[in-house]
Amino acid sequence: MVQAGEDAEAVCQQDLPQALKLLFEMNESADKVSSLVDSMLSQVKRGELATEEGLSFLEVKYHTLLSYLINLSHVVLRKVSGASIYNEPCIDRLVELRTVLERLRPIDKRLKYQIDKLVKTAVTGESSDASSFRANPDNMVSKLDEDADVNEDEDAATEKKSVYVPPKLAPVRYDWDESAASRQEKLLERAKRRALSSAMVRELREEFLDAPTELGSRVDSGAGPSGPSKEDRERQEYEETYFTRLPETKDKRKKRKLPTIGSLANELTNFESDFRVLEGEVMPTKKRKSSKKPTGKKGKKGFKKRKSR
Amino acid sequence: MSNRLLNRKQMVVDVIHPGQASIAKTVIREKLAKMYKAPADTIFVFGFKTAFGGGKTTGFGLIYDTLDFAKKFEPKYRLARHGLYERPKTTRKQRKERKNRMKKVRGTKKTKVGAAAAKK
Repeated sequence: MVQAGEDAEAVCQQDLPQALKLLFEMNESADKVSSLVDSMLSQVKRGELATEEGLSFLEVKYHTLLSYLINLSHVVLRKVSGASIYNEPCIDRLVELRTVLERLRPIDKRLKYQIDKLVKTAVTGESSDASSFRANPDNMVSKLDEDADVNEDEDAATEKKSVYVPPKLAPVRYDWDESAASRQEKLLERAKRRALSSAMVRELREEFLDAPTELGSRVDSGAGPSGPSKEDRERQEYEETYFTRLPETKDKRKKRKLPTIGSLANELTNFESDFRVLEGEVMPTKKRKSSKKPTGKKGKKGFKKRKSR
Repeated sequence: MSNRLLNRKQMVVDVIHPGQASIAKTVIREKLAKMYKAPADTIFVFGFKTAFGGGKTTGFGLIYDTLDFAKKFEPKYRLARHGLYERPKTTRKQRKERKNRMKKVRGTKKTKVGAAAAKK
């Protein structure tokens, strides 16, 4: 602060009122501190404050802080009196004490809770009841979200009553932006292929072509015109992989006994979709499943529908 | 295909027998023994189904390394077909009655009770 030089004096003039104020404050606080310390010392001398037991950690902290202050004031003194502080042993000691204080800080943070509790018991004068040191669950509840908590409880209660039902979403085929024309083309192609391999066309082929007639094991596997159906193929694969025989289902047994049951009449009478598609005359019609007739005398609604005469 | 975990060779057996009825399992075992140079008692064949129209039969065959492995891994009914295993002749009803008699007694007396009451 005090330096030789004229420009330095100008700076000093600027800082002067502030410096005076600071010095005044320093004087006041120093007086207060000294009075406090004197009273504490007298208390300790009289034996009112017991200082034997206590956290040694805190003692270390106080001692280091004191040494730090002493060294710091020595440095300030030297600077105020104009001496340089280059290569002073004070500086080294200050650095050492500073590092110690830094190391103490996280430990201090961890002990904070315990120290607070002890201080509280000392102040309130309660007995050293071990249960008073247990956790306080009321402190854990957040006091901000009270409204939200109440609502959530109600909703949870109502939800628990009903069973979770997963959404019924059936997977649908993705047609990747097919245009109507290409779709028609595909349908036509499929219908043509079906027509070519239908029973009628096969018989015609046998009649008119010179190829030898093919007989073979056709019912169990290789039943359809293009060999075994998908189901039969899958069953065969499963049986061969797992070395087991799957039992015969009821419909399979019936088909074995009466192979043409239910299908012969349809085969014979199903002309329309077969040939005209091949010639390109007619567009393939949608396959409609035969409507089921109500079983027995009484229909669904419980009465027989009368035919109008 | 050799199944090293179960110490055996397993295969699908296709028998072609035009004009004949299905071939007996013992004959098939002999043929397999000759083909794979294995003793016939380690060969187990099962699941033969004749295709419609006749002439071809398909089934499964297992060829074990030794008879001990066969006894260890084969299910009891297939061993019984070869005479290597005898089922206990007790009927289900008898077994259940014995169990109920044993329920009335505690400890080592159970064995005595079961046998004694059965002799009645």
